[in-house]
Amino acid sequence: MGGCACATLLPSTLFLGVRNAAAAVAEKLDLSAKLHLADVALGTAKAMGASYADFRLCRYQSEYVEVREHRLEESSTGLSAGFGVRVLLDGTWGYASSSLATEDEVKAAVNRAVDVAKASQRLQARKFVLEDLPSYQDEWTMPMKTDPFLVHSDEKIDRMLAINEAALKAGADYATISFAFVREEKFLASSTGSRITQTRVRTMPDSEVTVIDKTTGKFASRDTLAAPRGSGYDYILDYDFIGEAAKAAEQAREKLKAKPVAPDDYDLVLDPTNLWLTIHESVGHPTELDRALGWEANFAGTTFCTPDKLGKLRYGSHLMNIVADRSQEGGLSTVGYDDDGIRSIGAEFPIIKDGVFVNYQMAIGQAQLIGQKCSNGCAFAESWSAFPIQRMPNVSLQPNPKPCSLEDLFSDVKRGIYIVGNGSWSIDQQRHNFQFGGQLFYEIRNGKLGGMLRDVAYQGSTVEFWNSMDGIGDKSTYFLGGAPNCGKGQPEQSAPVSHGAVPARFRQVTVLNTERKDIG
Amino acid sequence: MILGETEARDLTKKVLALSKADSCIVTISGGEDRHIRFAQNMATTNGAPSDIGIGVESHFGKRSGSASTTDLSDDALASLVEASEATAKLAPENPEFMPPLGPQRYATGTAFSSATQATTSEMLANAIQPVLQQARDKNLQVSGFLDSGTSFSSFGTSQGLFVYDQETNVLHTVTARTPDGTGAGWAGTTHLDFSKMDVAGLGAVAMDKAVKSREPATLSPGKYTVILEPSAVSDLIGILVGEEFDQRSADEGRNFATKKGGGSRLGENIFGKNVTIYSDPNDTLAPGSIYSSDGLPAQKTMWIENGTLKNLQCGRYWAQKTGRQPVPSPTTLTMTGGTTSTEEMIKQTKRGLLITRFWYIREVDPQTVLLTGLTRDGVFLIDHGEIVKPVCNFRFNESPVAMLNKVVALGPSVRAYGEESIGIPIAVPTLLVDEFTLSSVSDAV
Repeated sequence: MGGCACATLLPSTLFLGVRNAAAAVAEKLDLSAKLHLADVALGTAKAMGASYADFRLCRYQSEYVEVREHRLEESSTGLSAGFGVRVLLDGTWGYASSSLATEDEVKAAVNRAVDVAKASQRLQARKFVLEDLPSYQDEWTMPMKTDPFLVHSDEKIDRMLAINEAALKAGADYATISFAFVREEKFLASSTGSRITQTRVRTMPDSEVTVIDKTTGKFASRDTLAAPRGSGYDYILDYDFIGEAAKAAEQAREKLKAKPVAPDDYDLVLDPTNLWLTIHESVGHPTELDRALGWEANFAGTTFCTPDKLGKLRYGSHLMNIVADRSQEGGLSTVGYDDDGIRSIGAEFPIIKDGVFVNYQMAIGQAQLIGQKCSNGCAFAESWSAFPIQRMPNVSLQPNPKPCSLEDLFSDVKRGIYIVGNGSWSIDQQRHNFQFGGQLFYEIRNGKLGGMLRDVAYQGSTVEFWNSMDGIGDKSTYFLGGAPNCGKGQPEQSAPVSHGAVPARFRQVTVLNTERKDIG
Repeated sequence: MILGETEARDLTKKVLALSKADSCIVTISGGEDRHIRFAQNMATTNGAPSDIGIGVESHFGKRSGSASTTDLSDDALASLVEASEATAKLAPENPEFMPPLGPQRYATGTAFSSATQATTSEMLANAIQPVLQQARDKNLQVSGFLDSGTSFSSFGTSQGLFVYDQETNVLHTVTARTPDGTGAGWAGTTHLDFSKMDVAGLGAVAMDKAVKSREPATLSPGKYTVILEPSAVSDLIGILVGEEFDQRSADEGRNFATKKGGGSRLGENIFGKNVTIYSDPNDTLAPGSIYSSDGLPAQKTMWIENGTLKNLQCGRYWAQKTGRQPVPSPTTLTMTGGTTSTEEMIKQTKRGLLITRFWYIREVDPQTVLLTGLTRDGVFLIDHGEIVKPVCNFRFNESPVAMLNKVVALGPSVRAYGEESIGIPIAVPTLLVDEFTLSSVSDAV
């Protein structure tokens, strides 16, 4: 993957005024202007004594459309543009940012960053040291068929109204759907000589249908199983939202009459629409090196995956292979270079290999602290105003190389539950104890799928859970899930990340009944 | 970037003058922060970010569209207005459209401190330095975040409304851990005035808890009497009132406050009689913004009074449709406190747990507001009126609706901060609560 975008341009009548606000800024800052501001920033930082500096000029174009029942709730566009400058001064970081991209403001921001670093130096017990960093001059653009920003908002609204109509016709009392789009354009210049321009797009649909039983006062909802993706509008066009909306209304109605689950230990078959989030929380986060180093102790937490376990910990069964990549088509973390300027396309690496923990995710300045040479390209900053920190690439469970269908996984379950979609999710700050819900729950009896259950949540402890996995689907069952809003850091930053998964079977997992009968 | 009231007003006028729409709303907001983040007894990612943004919502009849930008140049503002108008013209009519408000009367803001606005990175570093030194002396590892920020916002309409507000906020949180990884403690809060933030005092509390929580014993899950410190209380109260108190969803039948058979439970005694929660933009402990959604004035609003559900958030359209007054979303929250100190609560507890704070709270069931999450950074067993030992962390599955029926005693209300807080100033007491459901043990420290 790589190279230039090959967007399918829609007829010219679809070009909109909503593009103008973004276009105005783009016209102001061509590449030569960016290069000049970068030279000003990096030159000023060097003159003020920085041993390393980088300058990121970013532009985020966004669109959000939400429809509730038969009416438009919101149609909005946004443009956020600005720059951030980071300096390493005598082993201490300083950072500053501004939305005003002028030469004077860039100089002022460098001064503020240096001021912050100087003030913080008195706190240092040791200095931050960076590895030898590479230098790249490159441009990377995410390939896509249809640029969502070239599609009329009324096309989107009509489509969403039709989807809601399908849900309401099928028996939903309420239906809400939203489409969100982001175009992220980043220019990175560093004191090592890198000059990197990158562009990518995120398409993020979301929907919920709700049914009400007024006599009992009960209600139930069913969310879409469509994941946010690093894709163009073609993803919206290709997904059967109308079919899903009608089905979702029927399933929500079925939920109201479903059998309450009896709390117990069950064999679980987790659909990839559910398992991707379990991977995110119980594999993605524990294997972040900044957590292992204690740098997130005050917020996101530390991890049970301490450096002494690297290469030794049997994280899961031999079927468990988890790969980190920034190359996967449609991945929210897919990008040519990370925000430290480390090349990430084509730099995939295993995190869990045949069940054993073999690699951390790293940003610059971390690898040498565990005796390794360099970052593996896992830095990200949510915007021009944020400091790049270690964030997840796409972290995915690899398919079974042998043929295995969903039905094959059911066939060896005497008493179990099949869980589809994401419900609530929570995990402790060292990533041992988790609890996940879902959208749909079905009994499995003697190898066959049975009726719907309700009020299900499963609890477990990470290593025990992954070691109980004894069956996974093959590549025909692969699904790319993901979240646009993974939180970490202080100030908190939100990161988009995808997780590929196949259905998997876990033995004897604790299941709760979540209904509270003492309320209401 | 901070704009003064005159600058914000002038910018609003300039944008309104560009508008060709039937009506228009202009919102502006910006901020400047200084922060130092530290971990393992040293500074890590320290910064001084600045931002600003302007948004325009244009209306043609009942059609609406909005656009925003961070670029305040004349060209960009013209494009911004054009973009919002183009979006509005493509939108279908919204039968629930409400025209922008005209002039309103607002309280005078009390959530700004010039001392905070004048905070420098050097002042932040000076405040943190003794905490790090103390940690080194005690052979502990501290991590934390000290942020001092100033923000402004304004809301203007083509109908003549203009309101400007400026706030300051200082956030300090600190975690201390023992080098053997068996003990952890936390402390943190917010304040509008940097000079009133006791950075060293919070550091000392976190370090004391870390030492005392070393080598925790494992305890069985179950229903426990708990003493919830203010951070834990602020998370649960913030989620309940900030996110679940919604009139429309209650009337529609999809909310904890829905009445069986239809309508909402407004006026019912849903909570314990010792529970009162309100919002007041001029609250002495937790003052907040003077305006809320749609530019409505933030006013003193009682949410729960002596256990009775008094108000739910209600937008202008739903208020008009149902014959009510609008109830804007809260810009601040206060739970009325009591007089029982934490020491007295411990003394009157036969067997229970003292809980410092919660982590990763998510809703499990919206019907009952059942939440799950975990304890973190200091859980202590109380036996016959005394803290006897540190114990493991737990996962809880509990509803704040049920919890507020089991409050046995309340401490004085104080300004508080929790990681799951909803982003507005909040003041709550320490609570002594019966039968809090802890459903499993966590090995995390």
